[in-house]
Amino acid sequence: METATKLTGLSEAIDLGILDPAQAEFFETPGGFTGLRLHGTEYKRVALRRAMPIAQPSSYISVADHENKEICVIRSLSDLDDENLRVVTAELDRRYYCPEVVSIKSVKDKMGYVYMELRVTGHGETFDKNCAVKDVNKNIRLLDESSLIIFDVDGNRYIVPSLAALDKKSLKRLEPYLF
Amino acid sequence: MKSPIPDYMAPALRRQGLDVSKLIYAIHTDMDLSGGSADVYCALSADTLYILTGREAVVKTKGARRLVALYEPEKMESYPLADLGEPGYEKLLTTGRLFFEKDGGAASVLLFSLGFVAQVERLTKVIKNIREGKEPLFEVALEDEPFCPKCGGRYPEPDRKICPKCLDKRGITRRLLGFFRDYRRKVLVILLVMMAGTVFSVLSPYLGSKVLIDEVLTEGGKYYGAVARTVLLILLVRAIGVGLNVLYQFVLAKTVPWIIFDIKLKIFEAMQRLSVGFYTSKRTGALMNRVTRDAMNLYWFFVDGLPYLVVNVFSLTGVITLICLLNLRLAIAVIIIMPLSILLFRLLWGIFRRFHHRFWVYGSQLNSMVSDSVNGSRVIKAFAQEDEESGRFAAVSGKLTDVDIKANNVAFTAFPLIYLFMFLGQIIVTAYGGVMVINGEITAGTLLTFIAYLSMLYGPLEFMSWVSNWWARCVDSAQRVFEIIDARPDVEDPDDPVILESLSGSIDVRGVWFEYDPATPVLKGLDLAVRAGEMMGIVGKTGTGKSTLANLMARLYDVTAGEILIDGANVKQLPLSMLRANVGIVSQDIYLFIGSIADNIRYARPDASFEEVILAAKAASAHEFIMNLPNAYETRVGAGGEDLSGGERQRLSIARTVIQNPKILILDEATAAMDTQTEVAIQESLNKLQKGRTTIAIAHRLSTLRDADRLAVIDDGKVVEIGTHAELCAKKGEYHKLYKIQLEGLKTINME
Repeated sequence: METATKLTGLSEAIDLGILDPAQAEFFETPGGFTGLRLHGTEYKRVALRRAMPIAQPSSYISVADHENKEICVIRSLSDLDDENLRVVTAELDRRYYCPEVVSIKSVKDKMGYVYMELRVTGHGETFDKNCAVKDVNKNIRLLDESSLIIFDVDGNRYIVPSLAALDKKSLKRLEPYLF
Repeated sequence: MKSPIPDYMAPALRRQGLDVSKLIYAIHTDMDLSGGSADVYCALSADTLYILTGREAVVKTKGARRLVALYEPEKMESYPLADLGEPGYEKLLTTGRLFFEKDGGAASVLLFSLGFVAQVERLTKVIKNIREGKEPLFEVALEDEPFCPKCGGRYPEPDRKICPKCLDKRGITRRLLGFFRDYRRKVLVILLVMMAGTVFSVLSPYLGSKVLIDEVLTEGGKYYGAVARTVLLILLVRAIGVGLNVLYQFVLAKTVPWIIFDIKLKIFEAMQRLSVGFYTSKRTGALMNRVTRDAMNLYWFFVDGLPYLVVNVFSLTGVITLICLLNLRLAIAVIIIMPLSILLFRLLWGIFRRFHHRFWVYGSQLNSMVSDSVNGSRVIKAFAQEDEESGRFAAVSGKLTDVDIKANNVAFTAFPLIYLFMFLGQIIVTAYGGVMVINGEITAGTLLTFIAYLSMLYGPLEFMSWVSNWWARCVDSAQRVFEIIDARPDVEDPDDPVILESLSGSIDVRGVWFEYDPATPVLKGLDLAVRAGEMMGIVGKTGTGKSTLANLMARLYDVTAGEILIDGANVKQLPLSMLRANVGIVSQDIYLFIGSIADNIRYARPDASFEEVILAAKAASAHEFIMNLPNAYETRVGAGGEDLSGGERQRLSIARTVIQNPKILILDEATAAMDTQTEVAIQESLNKLQKGRTTIAIAHRLSTLRDADRLAVIDDGKVVEIGTHAELCAKKGEYHKLYKIQLEGLKTINME
């Protein structure tokens, strides 16, 4: 008689370390850092990092301790209660600061660098940013059909959440790089 | 010396009641602590750090025409240094923060976007100097702001105070023509012959229409009846014109290939000069495109585009002058049509340039994809991804085709419209000129000459439409070519090099930081001292920065902060040729060039004798397998050559370094792909060679490092333990953990 041997699945073999939201308490330290109390242990400084920073900013967020050792993974921000969500979001916003582009005032392509004057919004404020982009094929990246991200030479990121929302002139300036 | 307090900040600081003369250092950053946009001034006195948060506003001062920046801080915080603790900064993803650690806690005082990390780093250094009782500005570079004073744009490379936006004043065109400079005489000959040829071509219709009809065939004409002589003259003029054209093309064909040779050589030399970082940031397909396709685009423009452009501009000028002399009114009718044509051409120029740029981008993507799938063919087959790869190829190829079709559509619709437009011009001239002939204002010969010249205008104008396309391609290619030629290598030979007569081989790595990408440091203040002649084993987990350290010692990259000294001299001060000759690196990344095995072994020292090649191969335990190949040392390897195993390639790579005879030998997982027996054999040979040589051996397998004098454990970009095997085992730290794990592994095998 044939006996079927069941293959061990990845999820059975490996522990992803998903955080049980009911057990976790994220808090802000007086020094402006983010801490975590979990299973009776208090971590005074944790780092929060997105596994898919662009495609899934609200899912799979790794929580690591001061020495960069992973403590757990938040499967989805929606699993967190209001206070935890507030603290975690504030920390993520600091780490993944990425202003939204409202309009593009000028784009100049000179000797391999693209210089942009952007009008951006972040934290409810609108202001102008000048940036230089190297390797445009790599650093001006379409996320999908309608949104785009720009990485400048310093490592700053600027997102265009909706190309359709840009004014005609801005879109025309960006058009040569939209592929 | 530049002031450590920027001039524009001083008034605002004074307004806050600060005594600027007592301030030591100040920086300007861009975020408040909550992450909002703000103008933050950080000023430092000997005992206090002041942080002002506010906004700069650009206002027009009364009576003055200049705009000035005014700063109104919303708040100012003062932090006495004595209360703050040890300063530090960390880079988050797109931001960074300055914090102070005290009594196990940390307090963040400043948040900034990544562009300001260098300024914050310097501020941290000043605070540290004060705490350590040193001169506050000790080893702090008072650099200018990283912005171009002319356009306000950020310098793309902070260490290179050059703004490409403002530098590029000569223009691509003039620069391209600069390539003709070395061929001045030939170019002069070409130009003179071309012009002479054009004069004869322009004369031809005058003789064929005006002179023939009005002076030869019309009764009372100056040469009435002299048909044969006139026809012969027309033939002669035409023949001379053609002869001159052939002559200039002949000289041109002999000159342009040399100009292209120069350009290709310049690109290739520039690429060789550039550092490893440049290659890792550009895709190979795009690079190959640059050397070949971009240079060919320039070639065709030089051969076909530019000379015809000169000829056509010259004949346009000649024809217009002649028709104006023949009859001004009729000439004006012709000339009116021309600006409209030029407008149409300009429109086309812009459209073509955009299409061409897209075409180029997709073309390089396609090239990269092909080279990717050829190099990764085994992986593709192993994972049965052939269809998916074809799908990816089809997607990009589809986009390329789409752009091609769109460009062709523009061309096919636009050009007939231009022809129609020109034909209308001919009709107008014929009708208007016909009326003038009937009224006796001009002769029939003059009208026919006009019509003949009108057809001569079509040629140049039609050419202009093509040349715009050509020019678009050429400018685009030239821009990319100059990008390579102008790029300055990250790693450069020092201006004032330190020449060491002979190296003893001591290495001192001091507080080295390094990052491949902003915000992600791989090495974080690593310290390591290796004595001359010592064998230092380096162990650590994957991704902790071991290979990076090896690359920095060979100066394939430059450190972000800190320094690496060889025999007490900073590697940045040593001539690259000397450094590379004395530091041999056998890396994990093995590349064999197209050529024989012998050529590959003697790559670093082409003058090495064949006997030395065999000796090196023997030292690397490669001799035996080489002799088993049918063509032994003459076996062709590299792309399209003999397929060698990973271990065999590693052995050739070791032989290549051994023959170089470097004073410092870096073995970066050099024997990882070999069986233990071969590894032991190689190590025995290398042990003999290690005498008088400093050896850095990086390995995962601790057995590889059994002969090391000392071992350093690297974790998270720092050396966490250092000592002999016995010392580290006694310490029961990270090394002991690794040792136990590997030992347990072996025990388990023995048990089984």
